[in-house]
Amino acid sequence: MTAASFVQAGLNGLILGLIYVAIAIGLTIIFGMLRLVNFAHGAFYAIGAYVGLVVAQQYGFGYALLAGPLVVALFAVFLDRAVLRFFYGKEPTAQILLTFGIAIIVEETLRLRFGGTTQQYSLPQWLNGSLAVAGLQYPAYRIFLALGIVAVVALVWLFISRTNYGLIVRAGVRDRTMVQLLGGNIHQASTLIFALGAALAGLVGVAASPIYSIDPQTGFNFLIPSFVVVVIGGLGSFWGAVAGGIIVGELSALTTLIYPGAAEVIIYVAMAIVLLVRPQGLLGESEIIRG
Amino acid sequence: MSASTSALQPAAQTKSTRSGDLPFYLWTAFGLIVFPLVFGLPIFNGYGGLATQILIVGIAAVGLNVLLGYAGQLSYGHAAFYGLGMYGAGLTLLKFFPGAHSFALPIIVGVAIATLAAFAIGSLVVRLYGIYFALLTVAFAQMVYFIVFQWRDLTNGDDGLQGISTPSLNLGVVRFDLSAALPALNLGPFGDLSSIKEWYVFVAIVMFIVIAFVRTLVRSQYGEVLAAIRENEERSGFIGFDVRRYKIAAFVISGALCGLSGALRALYDGSAAIEALTIDTSGNFVIYTVVGGVQTLFGPIVGTGLIMWLQNVISAKTDAWRLIEGIIFVAVIVFLPNGIIGSLRKRKFSFAGLLRAK
Repeated sequence: MTAASFVQAGLNGLILGLIYVAIAIGLTIIFGMLRLVNFAHGAFYAIGAYVGLVVAQQYGFGYALLAGPLVVALFAVFLDRAVLRFFYGKEPTAQILLTFGIAIIVEETLRLRFGGTTQQYSLPQWLNGSLAVAGLQYPAYRIFLALGIVAVVALVWLFISRTNYGLIVRAGVRDRTMVQLLGGNIHQASTLIFALGAALAGLVGVAASPIYSIDPQTGFNFLIPSFVVVVIGGLGSFWGAVAGGIIVGELSALTTLIYPGAAEVIIYVAMAIVLLVRPQGLLGESEIIRG
Repeated sequence: MSASTSALQPAAQTKSTRSGDLPFYLWTAFGLIVFPLVFGLPIFNGYGGLATQILIVGIAAVGLNVLLGYAGQLSYGHAAFYGLGMYGAGLTLLKFFPGAHSFALPIIVGVAIATLAAFAIGSLVVRLYGIYFALLTVAFAQMVYFIVFQWRDLTNGDDGLQGISTPSLNLGVVRFDLSAALPALNLGPFGDLSSIKEWYVFVAIVMFIVIAFVRTLVRSQYGEVLAAIRENEERSGFIGFDVRRYKIAAFVISGALCGLSGALRALYDGSAAIEALTIDTSGNFVIYTVVGGVQTLFGPIVGTGLIMWLQNVISAKTDAWRLIEGIIFVAVIVFLPNGIIGSLRKRKFSFAGLLRAK
């Protein structure tokens, strides 16, 4: 086990962690704003990945990066208006069941349309090289991906923390009724946040697919670790999702290096410890535990 | 304690339900006897083996319902207990006591392992509520899955356990080879009795006992307190009930029933697959229970039967089966939030009222 392999694993963990961060931020802002526990979030990732696959083959990777999140956002708005709004404010159990069912429907529709086999799409030539990082050659695309996610996360944060619309969102997380009383359009803001969170998952679905292959279950395979991320960080907390994502990514990557047998189980052990010691998560607020 | 119990349930109601015991059990027994026969009718296209599987898996759904319906806690991790029961029973015959040739021993070991695991996990998860509870059950179930998956020396990893030869059931005087068919008896449109294996008779008896157990449990003082906790946990705690202990007990009972289901499945199939421990299996138990109707005795069994039967019929014709299952599930959640059995109106016909029995 050389120092280089540690750096390599650390970088891999960072990339994986950033992917989790982007998915988990969607989950967490949706939970914060809509009080909705979204088991269909992995499905958004999968839709993004498959839309990306089709568009990338036809028009190129750049268009795929636009089309994936756009289609997913539209789907999310449809879902929100058609079904989910009837479940706002209901007990979390009903929401979990409903979104779980929607996730099954999406996953199976994708399986029927694209088959159950794994697929992967190739990158444009100019993204295929490698760069020297900390003394070792590392795929250039992964570095671009990391920088891209950091930029997108920063934009989302700026939107929420610096714009008037974000003000409604932040106020809505605190007290929905008060926002309505003050004349804020909470329903529109809710739908927007849902679409935004979904689009983030769709974008990551496109962007991560050149690294991780796609199959209909991919979404679910990313969803469960993303829940681990959100729980470790604190459900509803923006920076909690960021911290949790990096922790989970690094934990998986470094354990893969040191003791591969425990690589998959370690994040669940971490989550269980956090939930039992600090149920609100590392950066969460205690008032939401009973949510 | 007795004062609070009578406050929770009017005495008159208790009396009237008690008097319904005998008809209830007679109808239940009748249903279990008739089920494989009606099921064999050409329009249903079922068969004895499927009827047996439905009852075996139905025990797990009934078990999950103790937690989901009666205690109001959603677990997405009960595959862990089902799988532990399955592997516990299988390994008892293959590795722990290969020379035992006992039918009861693998079931006892499987249920014991599942129960111990449910106690250990339950003691930790009951501290949390709602979404956190559900996610913590997922976390522990994933741990169990990966441990079984990685422990190749014992569990064969993703190859699962094969070639579990089920011993005959020894009742002292007589021995039953449960894979033998019932005596030939032509029942006309209902087919031939010999199309049903003795396994069905055994599983039906187990199911009868499970139903009687859960019914008694739910109607006991324990069940009343559990219902009070479900409706308002804080208040129940203020009254003086040790909420956590009641919830742990519900968790352990439901885990043990899932373990029983898994152990029976291992003996019936003669194998154990790692898929039994996946989150898909946990999700299936939830689907079965919710589709049939939580908080009803027969809902989980009806849900299990309906979904497994549809799967059998539809998956032979199209590979869109799981899509259809998802659509059914979402449709039930949106349009029949109380599930199929829970939505039957009590007054319309009395048989429905019987099915709705808590």
